[in-house]
Amino acid sequence: MTNRTADILIVGAGAFGLSCAWWMAKRRDGSRILVVDEGEFAGGASGRNGAGFRMQWGLELNIRLCQESIKFFESAARELDYPPGIALKQDGYLVLAHSEKALKTLEAAVRTQHRFGVPSEVLDAKECIKLVPPLGRERLRGGSFCALDGSASPFLWLDALLRACRRQGVDVVYGIRARSIEPVETRYRVQLDDGPVDVAKILICTDWAAPELLAPLGIDVRTEPLPKEILVTSPAPPAVKPILVSLEHKIAVNQVDRGSVIFTVSRARSGTTTRSTGDFLSFAAPKIVDLVPGLAHVPVLRAWGGVSSVTPDMQPIIGETEREGLFVAVSSYRGFMTSPAVGRIMAAMVLDGDTNDPIASALHPRRFAAGEMIIEPLLNQE
Amino acid sequence: MARSIIVVGAGPAGLAAAMQAEGQGARVTLVDEGQRPGGQIYRQGPPALGREDIAGAAELRRKHKLLEAFERARVRIDYRPNTSAFALFGPRDIHVASGDQTQVLSADGVILASGVREVAVPFPGWTTPGVMYAGGAQSLIKSQRTLPGRNVVVAGCGPLPIVVAAQILRAGGKIAAFAPLHSLTAGVGNLTGLWHGRGVVLEGLRYLATVMKSGVARLTGFVPIRARGIDRLESVVLARLDAAGAVEKGSEREIACDALVINYGFAANSELAALAGARMRHEELIGGWLPEVDDFGRTSVEGVFVAGDMAGLRGALVAETEGCLVGAAAAASPEIFAKRSFEQSWHKELTHRRRLCEFQKVVRAMLDRPRALWAIADDDTMICRCENVNLGHLRFAFSAGHLAPNTIKRSTRAAMGWCGGRTCLPMIAALAELHAKASPFAMMTPRPLARPVPLSALANQTKG
Repeated sequence: MTNRTADILIVGAGAFGLSCAWWMAKRRDGSRILVVDEGEFAGGASGRNGAGFRMQWGLELNIRLCQESIKFFESAARELDYPPGIALKQDGYLVLAHSEKALKTLEAAVRTQHRFGVPSEVLDAKECIKLVPPLGRERLRGGSFCALDGSASPFLWLDALLRACRRQGVDVVYGIRARSIEPVETRYRVQLDDGPVDVAKILICTDWAAPELLAPLGIDVRTEPLPKEILVTSPAPPAVKPILVSLEHKIAVNQVDRGSVIFTVSRARSGTTTRSTGDFLSFAAPKIVDLVPGLAHVPVLRAWGGVSSVTPDMQPIIGETEREGLFVAVSSYRGFMTSPAVGRIMAAMVLDGDTNDPIASALHPRRFAAGEMIIEPLLNQE
Repeated sequence: MARSIIVVGAGPAGLAAAMQAEGQGARVTLVDEGQRPGGQIYRQGPPALGREDIAGAAELRRKHKLLEAFERARVRIDYRPNTSAFALFGPRDIHVASGDQTQVLSADGVILASGVREVAVPFPGWTTPGVMYAGGAQSLIKSQRTLPGRNVVVAGCGPLPIVVAAQILRAGGKIAAFAPLHSLTAGVGNLTGLWHGRGVVLEGLRYLATVMKSGVARLTGFVPIRARGIDRLESVVLARLDAAGAVEKGSEREIACDALVINYGFAANSELAALAGARMRHEELIGGWLPEVDDFGRTSVEGVFVAGDMAGLRGALVAETEGCLVGAAAAASPEIFAKRSFEQSWHKELTHRRRLCEFQKVVRAMLDRPRALWAIADDDTMICRCENVNLGHLRFAFSAGHLAPNTIKRSTRAAMGWCGGRTCLPMIAALAELHAKASPFAMMTPRPLARPVPLSALANQTKG
């Protein structure tokens, strides 16, 4: 038994959990913050994704979330006092369309993006290939491109947050699971693997695992696991400057600075295993070669699995639950790229009770019960 | 119906297992990365170069006996040279690559016999061209008839430095200095062990005699602490270390040379067993992370067997005997295997192996790697060559509590490159223990691919 004390407990030390903790600690309002994670550093979806970020979305709230987050990524090395930096790369993001319908959706999204100052543009197929020579020409109709989008290292981002949190006095503990939450008068008693802790406020940042803790309290947070698999190649000469995503292939491509190309491949699967599967390489390789035939010769080094989350409308769920002092932040598979903004919003909500943020009020946890669904045009394509 | 068996690796364990299984009526496929059978110990050069003559006579006899037997059995075995097994998820899901093509094979049993690689101990300059491990030097001599250098320093522990030094001399090379870490009589107190390995001991003594007679400078207890030279090796500094790894004052000797050949022991090529989900254990001096096996090489995964050094260093003699045992067990139906008569019929071989393992204890005493060795590296010393991670980067990771291979990998990128951590992981485990008191037993999550394979080959998959 370990005697832990805290005012605020954050469950989950992924990008959301650590970012929320850092934004809270930055306020220095005297709150003692404890972050527990049942796994190891970067062991969840935050450490297993394709590393990309983009402000090319079709909805104001997603555009704003990412605009704010990208701005923060740009200054992260300084803000978090992390001299190695987070391997920020802003060589743009190219969203590809392989049908007229997909291209029309991108054109509409770009019009929306322009309203919020996103410097995106629509490219025809020729321009796409000029930008990314290894692309396959067949069926390619065009795409949308934004030069400020890009990628960073999720590992370095998490390490920077972790170290900054600890410097601010946040207690971050790995390998400890929160087993149950019990309301006790106006506070909560949480059973951790190594003993109970009594806190005033709780923030659940465990994505698909959130219902496990909340359902026993009668709180319905609708999120499900979304397993993905990724493969990475050996370093190759620069060939794919921007990040690519093909809505049709359901593949994202990111050639990082040292030359390795990361392919994030989606396919219909269920479950929560991060193990590599035998048929993944057979499934993914032909699709990748179809998308970027110019990279077919590059050797694959490694494949891995990760489990992100998805909500009924594919949008994040952030806000206070029907129980006062009990908050939730579920990413719906964009935790890494939205974590800086979500951290700021949640810190204001948890510490000040500020729910006026327009993004937060749209993404509140009770929207599904009220029959609200937020439709992001660029996701419902995928 | 005949049982189908796939054997990975064509060294002594794999060859013996393949022949034994075939002899029992199994349909056998043998995949191997080499161009010719033999593995590392019985490596064969291109046929045009003829048979080698630097190995000891007894070793050559064993080698040719085994290879000739395999030549006779080969027509009945689906032998695939130049083929890598790069992923394994069980005997029904074995991924192999050859040229620009991949295949998924399925069998009743798979026997992994992929041997060991050498353990690197980092020191300033260890990545300088001209610094190499004993296996690399032997490959040059055995398959290319090329000396590793004109003037070679040989260092390290165990019997291999003696063998390589003798082979370099027999091939006409010059040894600038011979630096065995342990006294050459380490382990000779074990008389039973010596007796059981008397054949090999005699071979070893002949190699030793070659080295002694040559009048080579012998520096017992000295280790390389720095390799100098920019584009190529120019000299090596050898020194004695105290128990904490500090250099003993005044013990440094700088020796001009153009090659440094080292062996500090071995790490098992156990990646495929781990990926298949076999229960693993850790024993540092005989190979690090090893699959748990029973007397017949059965792992915790049904239908996945292991033979030879990959289950823990045991040498070519044990490997060959064990190959027979494991080949027999894999080729037997579960009903036959379960009968007591099966084990009884292999009593002689089981006893023989036990005796040879007794001798391995002698070798193990020579292989002791003192902790002090790991203290030679400084912050600028490269640890992961693929991803340019040095000890300073590792220590920065340790400072945030990243102490397990998984979290060290994520926070530094070490082990994420071309070799998949085969070189750096044993170093990282030892360095995390030395600098941060981490447990060296934690294992990195096993991931495919065990070998890099082009996207085009993965996309070009034929049915197995």
